[in-house]
Amino acid sequence: MITIIKYTFKEMLKKRAFLLVSILSLLYLSIYAFGLSKIFERPSNSIYDIIFQSEILSAGLFFANFIVAFLVVLTSVNSISGEIESGTIYSILSKPIKRYELVLGKFIGLSIMIVLYSSIMFLSVVGLNIWFGSKISFGWDNILKGLFFFDLGPIVFLALIIASSSIFSTINTGIIAIMAYGIALVGGVLEQIGTAMQQSQVGAFGLKSGESLINAGIITSLILPTDVIYRKMTAELLTQSSGISFMTQGLFGGMSQPSIYMFIYIFFYMVFLLYYGAKRFSQRDL
Amino acid sequence: MVLETQNLTKQFNGKGGFKEVTLSVEKGQVFGFLGPNGAGKSTFVKTMVGLLHPTSGFAWILGKPIGTVESREKVGFLPENFRYHDWMTGKELLTFHAELYKIKNPGKKIDELLELVKLKGHESKLIKNYSKGMQQRIGIAIALLNDPEIVFLDEPTSALDPVGRIEVREIIKELKSQGKTVFLNSHLLSEVEMVCDEVAVINHGRIIAQGKLEELLKEHTHVEMIVSDYTSELIEKISRLSKEFQFKEGKLSFKVEDREKIPIIAKMVIEADAKLYQLNTQTSSLEDLFINLIGKDEVS
Ligand SMILES: Nc1ncnc2c1ncn2[C@@H]1O[C@H](COP(=O)(O)OP(=O)(O)O)[C@@H](O)[C@H]1O
Ligand SMILES: [Mg+2]
Repeated sequence: MITIIKYTFKEMLKKRAFLLVSILSLLYLSIYAFGLSKIFERPSNSIYDIIFQSEILSAGLFFANFIVAFLVVLTSVNSISGEIESGTIYSILSKPIKRYELVLGKFIGLSIMIVLYSSIMFLSVVGLNIWFGSKISFGWDNILKGLFFFDLGPIVFLALIIASSSIFSTINTGIIAIMAYGIALVGGVLEQIGTAMQQSQVGAFGLKSGESLINAGIITSLILPTDVIYRKMTAELLTQSSGISFMTQGLFGGMSQPSIYMFIYIFFYMVFLLYYGAKRFSQRDL
Repeated sequence: MVLETQNLTKQFNGKGGFKEVTLSVEKGQVFGFLGPNGAGKSTFVKTMVGLLHPTSGFAWILGKPIGTVESREKVGFLPENFRYHDWMTGKELLTFHAELYKIKNPGKKIDELLELVKLKGHESKLIKNYSKGMQQRIGIAIALLNDPEIVFLDEPTSALDPVGRIEVREIIKELKSQGKTVFLNSHLLSEVEMVCDEVAVINHGRIIAQGKLEELLKEHTHVEMIVSDYTSELIEKISRLSKEFQFKEGKLSFKVEDREKIPIIAKMVIEADAKLYQLNTQTSSLEDLFINLIGKDEVS
């Protein structure tokens, strides 16, 4: 399994998709840095500036997260199915290796690469904000917790893709990945709007329709909990130990906080996906 | 027995594959698995190495039931539609596969195998830039990395030129001399004929003939005789000893399973006081046998 992990990691670095996303990331970070330099040119003091700065940070992380998700899809959709489709799997699985070792090895190898990549993106965005003089004060614990959840999202997404790639073709896995990600994104937005409606509107109508939006959001989080994790990340990053929160409402921020049950669910979600993917893969005729 | 199967069947939704194959391959043999395209050879080998799950029946490799990790420990496999990770160099690819086998310090073994498959000097080229024939040869090297007890070669010369074919034949002979067992899938009779001790012929997923190469050849010695002053009783006796018997105006044509029957038949003719003018025998090549068997199977 160590061998599979090692070579999965190596292969990734040689993939064209990896190069492409790296260039895209550099481009993005440059533009973001340029934008920040313009925004922080004028002196800021008011509370509105802090809210604005929080928005800028959230937006930066949101797109960084998006790029990482893009990397996950591009590098992982064919992780197992591609080996089957090209025929390279014959010489691997005819060896004294259990099939789950291949699935798990691929997952771990890709995870290492994705955590590294995702961490670089997160630290770059946060670092750039600090560098340009953001008024938001981060503690190390904020940054570390934020980083943890920023990296967790792509790993959960990876588990779904690896499981799908062990069972279905590359094309179908691509479709499943993009659909699941899209649904999670839309669901997250719905849940935010729902929460906002419940908080701002007093009328029974607002409460009711707000609630149904929240429920829709919860269901989509069950399908792929990346958005929930993302909101948790924002919360961890922006809530001070003193209790002051720099969190803001809006498309990139987060209002409703995921519950602990959601995180228990996420843990079992990953374990189940990998288990099920490996099991179905073991039963397959190759 | 290095390999043994009992009524092993693998079908895809009730179609294709192979049916009720019962085989045993002894240690040190070069076993030829012969059949036309689509006969079920690749399906059989892929089932042996655990890539396909059998529909029914049993099989063991070195006493271990197939499908288990243990059964693959001493096995080498060259797939038919071989494809290797083309972003690696030849040496990296061999190292990768050696690591999959958990071989410690594979450097020496890799050098040895590069020498054997005549890829020395090409080991730092990317697999991408290898010709089809070179890829097939590195595939053979991969199949031998772990010093296997049994090597499954699925059409190992399909991408090779005549010289390459001879080289593979030499490699097979070398393996045999090392006491290893080789299971050779082929649709080419000439290939099987030249290296195999024992052969099974498969068609439409079923074994239709099996045995030692010489015995299979013996089975089909064609005899032509010209006799006179015969009795119908004599003709009848000969027909009972032979196959595909034809008789017309003193001319007999038939096949015998065993060459030893020829002198017996000759003696019968003499003892029946008939006159024997001519007796020709022709031992058919495996190719004739092959075409014959496939042809017969087609009819029935
Ligand atoms: N994965 C599969 N799904 C369905 N049918 C298959 C599959 N693999 C092989 N077959 C069928 O099984 C038969 C035997 O194929 P194969 O073992 O490749 O033959 P050979 O190697 O002797 O040329 C063919 O009729 C083929 O179409
Ligand atoms: Mg074949």
